Amino acid sequence: MRPTRREFLRTCGAGAAAWAGVSVLPGEFLVTRATAADLPPDRMRELAAFALERARKAGATYADIRINRYRSQMVSMRSQPDFATGKLNHVPTVTDTETFGFGIRAIASGAWGFSASHRLTKDDIARAAKEATEIARANAPLRRGPVRLAPVAAYKDAYRTPIARDPFEVPVDEKLEFLRSLNDQVKKVEGVFSANGTISHRVEHRFFASTEGSVIEQRVYQISPELTATAVDKGRKTKTRTYRPHAVTAGWEAVERARFPEHARRIGEEAVQHLKAPSVEPGRKDLVLMPTHLGLTIHESIGHSTELDRALGYEANFAGTSFLTPDKMGKFRVGSEIMNVNGDRVRAESLSTCGYDDDGVKTRQFPIIQSGIFVGYQTIRDQAHLIGQTESTGCCYADSYGSVPFQRMPNVWLAPSKDAVTRDDLIAGVDDGVLIDGRGSYSIDQQRYNFQFGGDAFWEIKGGKVGAMIADVAYQSRTPDFWQACDGLGGDAAWENVGLNSDGKGQPQQINAMSHGCPPARFRQITVLRTE
Amino acid sequence: MSWTADEAKKLAQRILSYSKADECEVTLQLNDSSHTRFAANEVMTSGSTRDLEIRISSRGKGKSGTVLVNDTEAAALEAAVRRSEALMAVAPESPEWVEGLGPQKYPPIEAFHEETANAGAEARRGGVGAALEAARGGKLNGSGFFETEATWQALANKKGLFGFHRATEASYSTTMRTEDGTGSGWAGTIAPRITDIRAKDLAATAAKKALSSVQPRDLAPGKYTVILEPQAVADFLGNLGFAFSARAADEGRSYFSKPGGGNRTGEKLFADSVTLRSDPFDARVPGRPWAGVGPGFGGGGGGGMFFGLAALNQGLPAQRVTWIEKGVLKNLATDRYWAQKTKSEPMPFPGSVIMDGGTGTVDDLVSSCARGLLVTRFWYIRATNPQTFQTTGLTRDGVWLVEEGKIVGPVNNFRFNESPANLFKNVEALSAPVPAGRMVLPAIRAREFTFSSKSDAV
Repeated sequence: MRPTRREFLRTCGAGAAAWAGVSVLPGEFLVTRATAADLPPDRMRELAAFALERARKAGATYADIRINRYRSQMVSMRSQPDFATGKLNHVPTVTDTETFGFGIRAIASGAWGFSASHRLTKDDIARAAKEATEIARANAPLRRGPVRLAPVAAYKDAYRTPIARDPFEVPVDEKLEFLRSLNDQVKKVEGVFSANGTISHRVEHRFFASTEGSVIEQRVYQISPELTATAVDKGRKTKTRTYRPHAVTAGWEAVERARFPEHARRIGEEAVQHLKAPSVEPGRKDLVLMPTHLGLTIHESIGHSTELDRALGYEANFAGTSFLTPDKMGKFRVGSEIMNVNGDRVRAESLSTCGYDDDGVKTRQFPIIQSGIFVGYQTIRDQAHLIGQTESTGCCYADSYGSVPFQRMPNVWLAPSKDAVTRDDLIAGVDDGVLIDGRGSYSIDQQRYNFQFGGDAFWEIKGGKVGAMIADVAYQSRTPDFWQACDGLGGDAAWENVGLNSDGKGQPQQINAMSHGCPPARFRQITVLRTE
Repeated sequence: MSWTADEAKKLAQRILSYSKADECEVTLQLNDSSHTRFAANEVMTSGSTRDLEIRISSRGKGKSGTVLVNDTEAAALEAAVRRSEALMAVAPESPEWVEGLGPQKYPPIEAFHEETANAGAEARRGGVGAALEAARGGKLNGSGFFETEATWQALANKKGLFGFHRATEASYSTTMRTEDGTGSGWAGTIAPRITDIRAKDLAATAAKKALSSVQPRDLAPGKYTVILEPQAVADFLGNLGFAFSARAADEGRSYFSKPGGGNRTGEKLFADSVTLRSDPFDARVPGRPWAGVGPGFGGGGGGGMFFGLAALNQGLPAQRVTWIEKGVLKNLATDRYWAQKTKSEPMPFPGSVIMDGGTGTVDDLVSSCARGLLVTRFWYIRATNPQTFQTTGLTRDGVWLVEEGKIVGPVNNFRFNESPANLFKNVEALSAPVPAGRMVLPAIRAREFTFSSKSDAV
């Protein structure tokens, strides 16, 4: 129930369409527009001051308000033969949605309360400020101790993603024509059944003010294009191949520089090869994982296991807990000596990058794994003291004005080798292995130990060289075993800033986008399965 | 906050009066939801959100343009209609476009309960407190989620079609973990009435599961007879929705594709005891009076579990459908475009999935089992091959070894690599169906379920 966004997430999980956050019918053109124009900054500050004053009067010892506008657009073109006539149909779909509203968070009697509405009027603000504090007080008798917030400075600041061209200013018909021309390129390859191009982009215009004196305005732009070729044979077997340039915080320039026309024919050819490729011979093999694939492996095995809320049991009823419990911090070996992982929300173009988090904490970089040892968690203000820390690492985020901010994954990235190691250098050291590119089906247990990951394309490695394409590959491992089997990383030139745009967590479930930059990496003797 | 049919109709008609396009369709949804979350034996976040969505589609001659707004001011609505018409003007023609429906007769579905709609933080406190008390008293680590929602929805177009529906839903779930971290239990339910949420019983079930799953013994992966509790069945079937698409089957993309062309409707594919149907009129999982997309899509009754199919047939009246009868594939969901293409009848997928069962309980399935594994629920299920239905995922919150009709003790969690099609073929026995995961499902005992590796997670 409740808006489409959540049902969509429940069922679709990942994919560019998740950003659109709405249900989509083929051939439909959809636009959401909150009619309220951008409010002048003075008016925003005035409404915020009114909200915080009302919350204080109602008994809040802390309150913040977020007045946020979200706009997202997804333009896609599916080209496939008509079922009856065989004529090539081009089916366009456009969604353009905009939502606007506010949410007030309050601490009263030592407990949290929250209230949100799509109507930004003084009456609604007053009602919500009162309701947030009332909810807090209603829950207070169930608490054993008061919520404690790590200190934060008061900021009056603004942040904006640097963009060269606003993607919302690129006309929809230009985008559709671009995708159609790409689909035509893909379809030129003999054996390709259909082509599907999608460009998703969004902007979050976030205004934050708190009773601690911060007033912060931010505009964050994210963009994610992709193109998929599908091949079908007479036995009705299908295989796909996707070109997905990294989703980034940037403007239309990210699409222009992605050299789609060069890749269109390649993915068509690789889809056809994929269809003809023999199934993998299962067994223990060495793996060389490309950044396009490894990013999601990092997300699932390292990103989620180092979230402090999971480690504390806050997600036990849904997303799960973590094998990295607080007693392991500073001691536990997750991976081999060459493994160094950082968290941040400041790296250029990474999807989680912004100026301040939804607690009003200035974003920064922090270490998570150093020389294979687990050293730090992702945290927010109300958790830091629980592991003896005095400040938050700035990982608080809510996916809507109507959602409660909580701890979300920042960019979590694997540092490259200091040496100039290439992909081929890694492959040269493999006698019997598999090279994996792109994302496939991903599944991991609730404490982030046992996982099984597929990919988008696979090649066998024999005698230190890449051989023919193979199919139906998945690998299973256990997080510490897997990372301790990592004996080779690419250098800086091979490092890529991989973006992931639809991570789900929390109850009610919320989505989040972040990047997992990494070099290609080699893993020894991993269990490989055939998924056919 | 609430809406009546008259209020919704008035708003819809005002919007339609601005339209200059051949066709115009409006869907409205008002939503009021609130929740309390608890974890680590402490109440955590709690909040309330009100939202409105007004969706306006201008349509004609193969084109459409749709706008969503959340403002009911007349000028804003008229501007929204103009914008949808402007968007329609620049839209290329869609080869899959279908004409809008004329007036439809919608069956009334009673799914709204005042006690759920009016519940606030105070009303949820008892349920949350019951779990916290059980956890703190039992030296367990308790967490959970209690949410109530009310929605008011309407659908209207220029051809005189109008529908109004309101629904409520309360959902409660709790996880209990033992202090040593080796035992974990879960229990939960979703119901239209908050009074049907038995928080104390659910907390006791989760606590009992946690305490009886401590210190699990190591068991090797392999093929086992399984007894899947109704929630485990719900988790497994929740990923099935897309398979019931006639288009996916006809195009060769699904398990129900027939080699050489067409689909496998009419074929006996599963065990005799397998009957799967949709009943939007069942009060335990009430659906919406019409199939649809957009605001309110998903409704009560599990529509959301079957996103791709519920979205196909905006405005067609809800109906009872049998998908599988005694193991025979009877129907596949067909949208109006695909029905035209294949000269068949459109068939909405209304959600409200019900699997028929037997008469006994989970305990009866255990007591008649020679050797097998009892599974509480699954986690992180992903398809690895849609054409074979092959999926992977993990057990969670309690697995027990059963021998000679008795629970011997807890065992480790597993990863499985298995297909719901095999499960349906290998069914041995079913319990009486009960609500689980917005469906009504029995526990299933089935042979030869494939566990591929052990999971250290608890």
